Amino acid sequence: MKSFTLLNPKTLEHATRALAAAPSSSARVLAGGQDLLTEMKEHLVEPEQLVNLKGIPGLDRIEFTAAGACTIGALVTIGALEEHAGVRERLRLLAEAAASVGSPQIRTVGTVGGNLCQRPRCWYYRSEHAKCLKKGGDECFSFSGMNKYNAILAGGPSYIVHPSDLAPALVALGASATLVSAAGERTVPLEEFFTLPSAGDVKHENVLRQGEVLTKVLVPAPEAGLSSTYLKFRERGSYDFALASVALCLWRDGARIRKARVALGGVAPVPWRSFPTEKALEGAAFEPSTFEKAAAAAVTGAEPLGQNDYKIPLTKGLVVRALQSLA
Amino acid sequence: MSSIEPTGAPRQDAKAQDKPRKTRKIKTTKDVNGVPQEIEIEVEDVDGPRWGERKELKLLNTELRRVDGPVKVTGRARFTHDVRLPGMVYARLLCCPYPSAEVEIDVKAALALPGVEAAIVLETKTRFLGQPIAVVAGRTSDHADDALRALKVVYKPLPWAVDRAQALAEGAPNVRKNGNQGKPGQNGDRAEAEAAVAGAAAKLEATYGVPVQHHASLETHGVVVDYTGGEEATVYISTQSTFAAVEQVAELLGLKANQVTCVVEYMGGGFGSKFGLGSEGAAACRVAKELKKPVHLMLRRPDEFVMGGNRSGNRVKYKAGMDKDGALVGLVAEAERFGGLGDGAMARPPYIYSAGKTYSEVVAVYTNTDSSRAMRAPGHPQSSFGMEAVIDELAYQLGLDLLDVRKKNLRDKVYHRQLERVAREIGWFEHPHRTKPGPNSGGKETGIGFGISTWGGGGSGGTECDVQIAGDGSVTVSVGTQDLGTGSRTLVTAIVAEEFGLALGDVVARIGNSRLPSATGSGGSTTTGSLSPAVKDAAWNAREAFSAHLAPLLKTDPALVRFAGGKVFSQANPNVTMTWKQASGTLPNAGLSAHGKWDKDRAAALMGNGVHGAQAAKVEVDTLTGRVRVLAMVGIQDCGLPINRLAVKSQLNGGMIQALSYALFEERVIDPVLGIALNANFEDYKLAGPSEIPEMTALIDDDDPRNAVIGMAEPAVVPGHSAIANAVHNACGARVRDLPLTPDKVLAALGRIA
Repeated sequence: MKSFTLLNPKTLEHATRALAAAPSSSARVLAGGQDLLTEMKEHLVEPEQLVNLKGIPGLDRIEFTAAGACTIGALVTIGALEEHAGVRERLRLLAEAAASVGSPQIRTVGTVGGNLCQRPRCWYYRSEHAKCLKKGGDECFSFSGMNKYNAILAGGPSYIVHPSDLAPALVALGASATLVSAAGERTVPLEEFFTLPSAGDVKHENVLRQGEVLTKVLVPAPEAGLSSTYLKFRERGSYDFALASVALCLWRDGARIRKARVALGGVAPVPWRSFPTEKALEGAAFEPSTFEKAAAAAVTGAEPLGQNDYKIPLTKGLVVRALQSLA
Repeated sequence: MSSIEPTGAPRQDAKAQDKPRKTRKIKTTKDVNGVPQEIEIEVEDVDGPRWGERKELKLLNTELRRVDGPVKVTGRARFTHDVRLPGMVYARLLCCPYPSAEVEIDVKAALALPGVEAAIVLETKTRFLGQPIAVVAGRTSDHADDALRALKVVYKPLPWAVDRAQALAEGAPNVRKNGNQGKPGQNGDRAEAEAAVAGAAAKLEATYGVPVQHHASLETHGVVVDYTGGEEATVYISTQSTFAAVEQVAELLGLKANQVTCVVEYMGGGFGSKFGLGSEGAAACRVAKELKKPVHLMLRRPDEFVMGGNRSGNRVKYKAGMDKDGALVGLVAEAERFGGLGDGAMARPPYIYSAGKTYSEVVAVYTNTDSSRAMRAPGHPQSSFGMEAVIDELAYQLGLDLLDVRKKNLRDKVYHRQLERVAREIGWFEHPHRTKPGPNSGGKETGIGFGISTWGGGGSGGTECDVQIAGDGSVTVSVGTQDLGTGSRTLVTAIVAEEFGLALGDVVARIGNSRLPSATGSGGSTTTGSLSPAVKDAAWNAREAFSAHLAPLLKTDPALVRFAGGKVFSQANPNVTMTWKQASGTLPNAGLSAHGKWDKDRAAALMGNGVHGAQAAKVEVDTLTGRVRVLAMVGIQDCGLPINRLAVKSQLNGGMIQALSYALFEERVIDPVLGIALNANFEDYKLAGPSEIPEMTALIDDDDPRNAVIGMAEPAVVPGHSAIANAVHNACGARVRDLPLTPDKVLAALGRIA
């Protein structure tokens, strides 16, 4: 990789000041490095400076309020999230999503913040030899190319899928993210944090501005009676990104579904909050015919590209399997 | 590599076993209550080494842990990649990212960088994706990486063909001088075969395909060339043949073969891809010659994918007919092999089966991609896939039991007993879907499939060996052979230890160096058959010599000297013993040395040829999502006398795992329009990992009566993917005719894609 300078700030202020002082896009935030260092080795990005957050105290904590709201620091490792007793007990789908990320090695080093801000895995994006839309080119090669792994929902002009497993789970939980820069702090609902390529900025997957750092994720206390699961389909079970995944939060009154929040992974350029699925579930009986309707609703508006058509039955199948698992 | 004929119904070579035993009587004295008495002892009169009765063997035919396990696990084993020499530079190749291009490279900027020592253009016009076009070298690997980036390269892509459609399209560029197809190899009478199919009770016409697979050795190709300008060079090389590169290195460095030593002490896998110096080795020699410094050049993983070889893919159109009893009566097979610039490999259909009137036509289709190389059982897995599927598809049409139909079409009865054994182990006889597939239910369904394999596995001449016993009792066995990770070091050690009744730890094997006695390369599962007889010969000669030396001391005939349990004694007086160490202490200062070699006549009693294998797989298919989970695999393999039962089982397990990975995941992907490799890394080129591994049962076929060693590592990989694909079909009726069995194809076969 290209040589760079490494800055090890001890405070967030120091870090954001350094980022603000750096010329545009020449500085990058380093946390676990599981994605960034790979991108640097493959010359997809060549920053002059890395601002290492690892030395900043306090960003690696998971805290629950008495009411059950949870704050997750950006430097919490995915492995720590997976193993946290409170998360496992109260936010089951989040623990399941964490457990499904990468390999044990990656989960041990990779962080929550990094997982949310990671770049797409599309093999055209990852090849230095394909100057695609995401890299300032004028074509998304997956549209007419080898698009087996690409988006079936909300694609265009780029057809990447968002690779994060934590994101769909957090979106289903209604979480928001705190973003800090030298200019101040803002809190953004995760649903609004992630942006579609059609929204204008095709080179980025989220609203993070240059010089801004994602410092924590806030998960509101779930309403009582939550049952939840994260079901991920990996082509290779040992270590893989999702072909499709379902993050499902369900609240039931007896045999009836009172409320549902559903987000899909691996099928759209963002973690895909599926309102049609929620609508099909809410108020309906918790039974197989409802599952079928919810599955059909999940792929409403799907536009497959030729080699990813299978993601439609796959996603439907996963929705059914996820609902069945909560029986 | 051209088309490969299957070795046919392997013969059960029982020569060594059935030869009548000759004996002779020896007059000697035996102490009875302190009084010597004349007695006669009958001993076997053999004209050369024999393995001996299985029940007498202490090490061979048992489960031996690898002698080099500890050094490998602790990281002390030095692989080529680990070699560090004073003044060494690190070299990197630049591989052309396009399938064919004219290339202009300006090396000036790279050479001007600090720490960069060499930048050499290798090629200006390329013919395959990944062809090396330049080599650079720097003081550290980072310097070499920087040099690569600093090369100013202008690519002028030329028209290319990277897949079948492009190669066969009208107006396609010529990949090879004479076009994009080789000369078809035809076999049999087409009209006769077509007529037989037409008249059959059940008929099938279907096309099957397997993708290009990579060897994916954990250690990439590479060398460290230790040449500093003198009259000597040592080349550390990750190779399957210690001696294969010596002459080429000598030529490139301007030396004689006797000035070059090749070393491959530990090696991280080859699977057929690592013979000779390779273009990477040649490039390293070039740099070494220019710099007169040691050069370290190991391929980076992406380069390994595009230029390190592959298993050719294929596409076979079958027409097949079966009579109502399950006998194949006719088969027409039209096959294309996809071996890049090479010819690819495919065992001729109907592979091991008898198919009645048969016609086959096999042709190579060329593309601007790396030549296929030998890969574990070249041509056999490709041929197995379609044939095993054809049998199941026809059996289902007729409502016949899949096991019965297999047996019906296999003349060799060894397969019958093997198939029954794996069927029993996998639970076939309790399985509900033996004559028709299970339902496409929307639920999870379980299925079972079978496949069989064949191979030669015999050895040949060219291997010699020294055994040396030192005065302190330590034993050294020396042979230049290589251990690819297959366990040949342990094999060599065990044969010698067995000969002298010693423990494995009493013998040290010196291997992997071209200064040692010559040995053949490891290809075609010939290592066991080539190496073992030579080592056994040397050990036997050493024992004869040591017996002759000890006989007077033990006051006995040399034929009665026995070595067992670390002791030496006369068969006449087994209570009067010397320890091995005492016995060795009587040797002259230089100890004792003996030489042995693979000799046709002597080896005939030690080595066989022709093996059989059968495998079964049990899978679960989620018919809603297309997920395939392999629940269990069972493999049985004959191999004559297993030298090391643990190594044989390891090979069987490894073969089944590699086949599982081929079945479910592996496939080279190239974008045909951009011409670039899309999955030249271990993230996107998916190999099975720990959670894919099913319950595995590896069985050695001990009903094989041959008391001779035979290689078996290659057939272990032949049928597993076929069994898995058949099991998926058996579970739920989803017949996927193209590997890998990814959910897109399974869901399509289930009719779930609108």
